[in-house]
Amino acid sequence: MAATAVHRFIFIVGITSLLHAAYSAAQHRAYLRITEQEFLSLPIDILIQGIVSLFVTMYGIMTLAGEFKEIRSTVDLESKSWETYRNCPSFYTFNHRGKALSPYYDPPVD
Amino acid sequence: MSWGEARDKLRSWREENERRSLEVVDLWDTYLQSNIHKLGDERLLVWEQVCVAALDCNRMDVVDICLVSLATEFPSSMRVRKLQAMKLEALEKYDEALELLDQIIKRDETNAAPRKRRVAILKAIGKIVDAIKELNEYLRKFMSDQEAWQELCELYLIEQDYAKAAFCMEELILHNPHNHLIHQRYADIKYTQGGLENMEIARAHYALALKLNQNNMRALYGALLTATNVLSMSKSLPAPKKKECSKLIAWASKQIRNRYEEVSGHAAENELEALNGMLGALQIAGSTSS
Repeated sequence: MAATAVHRFIFIVGITSLLHAAYSAAQHRAYLRITEQEFLSLPIDILIQGIVSLFVTMYGIMTLAGEFKEIRSTVDLESKSWETYRNCPSFYTFNHRGKALSPYYDPPVD
Repeated sequence: MSWGEARDKLRSWREENERRSLEVVDLWDTYLQSNIHKLGDERLLVWEQVCVAALDCNRMDVVDICLVSLATEFPSSMRVRKLQAMKLEALEKYDEALELLDQIIKRDETNAAPRKRRVAILKAIGKIVDAIKELNEYLRKFMSDQEAWQELCELYLIEQDYAKAAFCMEELILHNPHNHLIHQRYADIKYTQGGLENMEIARAHYALALKLNQNNMRALYGALLTATNVLSMSKSLPAPKKKECSKLIAWASKQIRNRYEEVSGHAAENELEALNGMLGALQIAGSTSS
């Protein structure tokens, strides 16, 4: 799933709607406090908006975050060979025959 | 190819840990040298990578370009100092390189890289025993360094000290129990050591490597050979174990045959025949020596 403009748009819509739901909930609490009513539960429309936009955001972020990784830990290693695996850059030594193939090589004079 | 593709290639090699020094230097010469300012912050990593690759190919002109650029960017960096020490190494000025490395270690005792370079220098001048001693000293301080354990294993193998090399591999297995390559390597070492007990361990680890990755041909051959050897080595093998080994032999040879068929198709009759002959010979050799 590559991230496209559409996916980015879905994510932005989702997160805005989620923030909007949060703001509505806060407003609702404020309204109840002013009118001195007791808080029982959120109105159903805010609840639905919150849950739906949560899922929309989740979908959006899943496509934006990049490719999924294999859950089996061995899959990454399957394509590797011992030659690449055993290569440790911090222990390279440079006095090998590669030197003689260089255009700047001066053969030792006896 | 464009410079962007060259950059991506270098990046993937850097991540995959591949040596490919000549190719890296070629890419640098053709595409990246003239476009280095377009790389952004990645240019620093590219300079370092190209610098090491150029040391490997003895291209001192490229090394100097990279080192000068890096040194102007980070005048007091220990990482750049280490690269300078590596250049001295490549020029075979080992004493000066050691001196520089000691200075770095003095400045920052927790820095692992220059300590590893000291081992590499000892290895380069052929003092394998000293290198082993130094690396053991290093591993006492940095026990979780997998690269170092692996290098120690290689050094012990050069000295043909298989028991100690196997110990290093065991350590790596503890770090990476899901890596089939390490199991395969451990089994290789145990197989080389010989003896019935080691052969059994090797067989178990080849089997584990196969379980982790079915495409590991070396482990398939290893399983076949170790099972044959176990069968032929001991005369008083209990019957269920004997059966287990023969089953493993049959299974492994069938798998090897399947793999050859898959890769070469049905056109390569000759190859398959040669393979059958070889597998047959192995089994005959196994049964006559018992």
